[in-house]
Amino acid sequence: MARGPLMILCLAAILAAGFSRVGAAGDVELGQYLAGECLGCHMADGSDHGIPSIIRLSEADFVMALNAYRDGLRAHRVMQMIAGRLSESEIAALAAYFGGLE
Amino acid sequence: MSATGKRRQRPSTLGRRGFLAAGVAAGASLTAPHVLAQGHGRPRVVVIGGGAGGATAARYIARDSKGEIAVTLVEPSRAYFTCFFSNLYIGGFTGLEDIAHTYGTLAAKYGINVVHDWAIAVDRDARAVTLAGGAVLPYDKLILSPGIDFVEDAVPGWSVAAQNAMPHAYKAGSQSELLKAQVMAMPAGGTFAMVAPPNPFRCPPGPYERISMVAHVLRQVNPTARILLIDPKETYSKQTLFELGWEQHYPGMIERIGPDFGADKLRVDPVAMTVDIDGMVEKVDVCNVIPAQQAGRIAHLAGVTDGRWAPVNAADLSSKMDPDVHVLGDAAAQGDMPKSAFAANSQAKVCAMAVRGALTGSRMFPARFANTCWSLIAPEDGIKVGGIYAATPDKIATVGGSISDTGEDRATRKATYEESVGWYAGITADMFG
Ligand SMILES: Cc1cc2nc3c(=O)[nH]c(=O)nc-3n(C[C@H](O)[C@H](O)[C@H](O)COP(=O)(O)OP(=O)(O)OC[C@H]3O[C@@H](n4cnc5c(N)ncnc54)[C@H](O)[C@@H]3O)c2cc1C
Ligand code: HEC
Repeated sequence: MARGPLMILCLAAILAAGFSRVGAAGDVELGQYLAGECLGCHMADGSDHGIPSIIRLSEADFVMALNAYRDGLRAHRVMQMIAGRLSESEIAALAAYFGGLE
Repeated sequence: MSATGKRRQRPSTLGRRGFLAAGVAAGASLTAPHVLAQGHGRPRVVVIGGGAGGATAARYIARDSKGEIAVTLVEPSRAYFTCFFSNLYIGGFTGLEDIAHTYGTLAAKYGINVVHDWAIAVDRDARAVTLAGGAVLPYDKLILSPGIDFVEDAVPGWSVAAQNAMPHAYKAGSQSELLKAQVMAMPAGGTFAMVAPPNPFRCPPGPYERISMVAHVLRQVNPTARILLIDPKETYSKQTLFELGWEQHYPGMIERIGPDFGADKLRVDPVAMTVDIDGMVEKVDVCNVIPAQQAGRIAHLAGVTDGRWAPVNAADLSSKMDPDVHVLGDAAAQGDMPKSAFAANSQAKVCAMAVRGALTGSRMFPARFANTCWSLIAPEDGIKVGGIYAATPDKIATVGGSISDTGEDRATRKATYEESVGWYAGITADMFG
């Protein structure tokens, strides 16, 4: 069976994906899935055609912005609605994923 | 938790065939990448329809499976004209070329096998799709996102054969161009009539955004023209916002005839260019007929429809008739989401995640969906309605929503319009790469 080498390869992939990102405590794979919801509006290439880029924000600013929408401290109905259902760990996952995009 | 750990736990969720295929593909990827490149042994996904649902699903599966899954996208058109923003084209806010998109990046950058042909049959027992050109495509998972077709005889007197005299412009491209040309050619003081569709139909605010855009054009080039909106529904999406906007921007121009005045007892004559509303016959100059709708024909041919639409499970958009067939977007009966490009794109990402999980053992996550529909009433007067949704055992269910206020200031309306332009760039990049 090819299981042995496969496992090693997968572990290597996970290590590369999960730990090579400095400061990324969040679950990158979860972040990638959740990011699907954001990328209908925010451009993956970081350009701004009327909706701000979110890929070059620092992780702290990213988390702060989502918390501000979630807590109603920053006004924007749609972002409030979207941030409103994100848990702490989901926000961390998103921060980890977007932090790794370039 | 490692991916292999997950894979060990999950064989029960894989079909026998899917599991074997996944194992073969994973093994092959270690030893013989050139075999992979030729497309042997990998699990196969066939996507029918390269629109908001299908293009997104194909792109996400190809991107995230990194070659582990062979993805084929079947779409007859070489250029996809988005219905979204086609009303803005009619209003003069964007060019027809700006709403056209091609499939080259999906083929070149994501390795998707883009086949420009019609799917004409689905054999679910043999798991194969037949194309009009004769080719047969076997699949492990089939994704249908064929959009809508019109219900025959929904508007007595109208048929697809008459769509040049009375365009629907509800599939974008030449129909949008035709309708715009007809509006521009209206005689001074002439009448533009729209026959709006009954629920459910694609893009609930679409007909009313179109009325706004036609009014915007006529106000400039033909200010004494009249707009007649013949609507079989009691109420419609964002109604108060639209009607206040019409009063403000286009006073006296738009008249709506609802079912209380016979809009549900209608007949049109595309030769005489008349509409007969419960016995009252009107001669019109342009007649935009948007008939009742149903899932695209191939969904019916595949045997996954119940009545007009294809019922699906909310968690992964799989058909209630066949776990290896998924139906996305307008064609699906999924619950509370409107039939919009935003919704189709949102559903496609959940479906892509679930299909990858089933075929390769990649991690699965709980479904979540979102939608926002923007409409333009007049220059810099944009409105929106949005919702967030979750999968429940019987449907995709609304868990929250928001809508523009009637009393918003101009800056907010302008920002809403600008946001919609940003969204257009975002979703088209998300669909086509
Ligand atoms: C005027 C108008 C305005 C709109 N505005 C908005 C808006 O602002 N925002 C929004 O979110 N939505 C909007 N929509 C709705 C949106 O366009 C649709 O909901 C969306 O396109 C649905 O995606 P889909 O994948 O289900 O179908 P589509 O995008 O229609 O894609 C279906 C594709 O399948 C192909 N196909 C069909 N049958 C076959 C076959 N047998 N074989 C191969 N291919 C096949 C077709 O060629 C087509 O390209 C608007 C619609 C209209 C008409
Ligand atoms: C419907 C479109 C839409 C979706 C979907 C969306 N956003 Fe936004 N987002 C916006 C808009 C518009 C703004 C600007 C709002 C404002 O003016 O404060 C914004 C702002 C932001 C900001 C603040 C940017 C800054 O410069 O301060 C962050 C961070 C953000 N979004 C993250 C996300 C994430 C993460 C997701 C997915 C979970 C997401 N957004 C989904 C439209 C969207």
